[in-house]
Amino acid sequence: MRVLLIEDDSLIGDGLKTGLEKLGFSVDWFENGIDGKEALFQMPYDAVVLDLGLPGIDGMSILKDWRGQGRNEPVLILTARGDVDHRIAGLNEGADDYLPKPFSLLEVQARLNALIRRNNGKPAPELKANGVSFNPQTREVFFNGEKVILSPKEITVLELLLMNKNRVLSRETIENKIYTWGEEVQSNAVEVHIHHLRKKLGKEMIKTISKIGYMLEEK
Amino acid sequence: MKKLSLKIRLILSFILIATTVFCVAGVFAWKETTEKADEFFDTYQMILARQLAGANWDTITPEQQQMTNKLLDDIHSADDEDEAIGFAVFRTDGQMIFNDGENGRDFTYQPVPKSFVSQTVDDEEWRIIWIPAVDSNYMIAVGQEKEYRADIAWEMMEEFTLPWLIGIGMMLLLMIIIIGYEFHPIHRLARGLEKRKEGDLSALSEERIPTEILPLIRAMNDLLAKVRDTLERERGFIADSAHELRTPLTALKVQLEVLQLMQDDEKARTEGLKKLAQGIDRATRLVEQLLALSRAESGVLADKDTRISWEQIVQEIVADYQIKAEAKQMNLRVQSDNSGPFTYGNPVLAGTVVRNLTDNAVRYGQAGADIVITLKNGELRVLTKQTQVSEDVLTRLGQRFYRPAGQKQKGSGLGLSIVARIVHLYGGKLTFQNTDEGFLVSICPSEKGVY
Repeated sequence: MRVLLIEDDSLIGDGLKTGLEKLGFSVDWFENGIDGKEALFQMPYDAVVLDLGLPGIDGMSILKDWRGQGRNEPVLILTARGDVDHRIAGLNEGADDYLPKPFSLLEVQARLNALIRRNNGKPAPELKANGVSFNPQTREVFFNGEKVILSPKEITVLELLLMNKNRVLSRETIENKIYTWGEEVQSNAVEVHIHHLRKKLGKEMIKTISKIGYMLEEK
Repeated sequence: MKKLSLKIRLILSFILIATTVFCVAGVFAWKETTEKADEFFDTYQMILARQLAGANWDTITPEQQQMTNKLLDDIHSADDEDEAIGFAVFRTDGQMIFNDGENGRDFTYQPVPKSFVSQTVDDEEWRIIWIPAVDSNYMIAVGQEKEYRADIAWEMMEEFTLPWLIGIGMMLLLMIIIIGYEFHPIHRLARGLEKRKEGDLSALSEERIPTEILPLIRAMNDLLAKVRDTLERERGFIADSAHELRTPLTALKVQLEVLQLMQDDEKARTEGLKKLAQGIDRATRLVEQLLALSRAESGVLADKDTRISWEQIVQEIVADYQIKAEAKQMNLRVQSDNSGPFTYGNPVLAGTVVRNLTDNAVRYGQAGADIVITLKNGELRVLTKQTQVSEDVLTRLGQRFYRPAGQKQKGSGLGLSIVARIVHLYGGKLTFQNTDEGFLVSICPSEKGVY
């Protein structure tokens, strides 16, 4: 899942990027609001983490602008202000959830997962299909009741396919969702991940739709 | 007397004074009245005695005595007024030959010619005058009961002291009412203060407060206002501090969690520990700055006895920053006549001012720019050459926790507000401006020149 992070504080931003990536997200981090605001129009993000206390342009006006232009990506706002008024204002401007500072990384992860799930019309915490089950919070994969060890990128691809089951995803879409800007991507990276997933979960699990992409079809 | 209220003390004093004055006046009046009464009755007795002395007593008979008695009885029944006066006529051998038929009957012959004497008649004290008759064969005694005289004097006293008594009573009553009325605002004030809720620092009402204690109330109101200001500042400070501490705490928390996730990755762990240390350094710096600001705010260190050696302070701090400045190809220079914005004060606070300004100049100045610190004519100037600050930022500099947009340098946003606070504490003036040469911060001494 690709996440846009806009946070001016270098230590918090760095921690969130490193931590969330370790937890299976692909994170694009922007330290200033102006670039961050533009980034949402460039890539298909699954969720946004937005700090309200940005220097220059503040988070609230970025949010207002996005919603005004019809962007409906789920937005989690981070705020140093604990007061209720501030939170209400954020939610009223179109935020989907908020976290007051100081927050925990795992809480950010949990809230992002919940936001992404809800946005995809999947309220149950576990994603399941054809004997595969995946928990986005623990990032554990079970196949026919047995735990399967997958690499973080493989898990992300599986998560994406499970989230969009019975829908065809292009190679480019998958690539965009699992890699961030600045990350070096080999041209056949997605094929390699699919190959590994098939090896571990059975050939029948992921269908190749020629010249379009891949699909996980629920039987 | 110590614990009685001023009102009660005043009332008691008035009562005491009025009573004393009344008693003293009463004693004098009594003396005067009795003297006058004596004078009056003595004259009356004397006239009567003279008249009796001129009468012919040779031909007096017992029948005449009886007639007189009867006549007197008639007079007595007509007029109840008993003047307690009596007379008797004696022969010089002591034989009573005539009396007034009543009191005079009991007179005994104890002649002391031509003067008033006190003699006992029928167990009562009488004032009696003895004079010889014209033909010297008889002695006339005219007397009056002393108690009667006292009664008359007392009645006279009563008559003219009663209005006085009423007057004094009314005066006291009015005084008590007036004192009560005048003291009411003070009582109201005291009651209001007693009932005040903790933390209520609103001003006291000056309504109907007498001018004598108005300065006291005003002084109290000034004090309350100061306490209120301090408290509000403290509250604001605590709220701001708590708010500002959230960011470094979040950074620490997130970095720690990242570290926990990176258990298996040696390189990432080392990197994470470095970040954690950075975060702790930042939190420490913020806490130190907050403490410095808190000290400057409370003004506890504003002692005005120590003479400040500005040049020495500036030189020491410039030496500290030499390496940092060189890293940015900056040149730190000092021009000094050893005068500063305040001559006496706390060297630690003066050092904080110079340090924070130097730190800002090195941190935010253009790389390669010269920094000139000038101490001249009691003015401290820090000029950062080739550096300009936008108008928008200029107006907000010195506000607590203000950090201009797009700032890459780490800072708490407190440095200049601490400087502003210290300068204010010593009555100086802090200004920021863009000049042709660069960005200039100057601190001028107060106009009054107190420090």
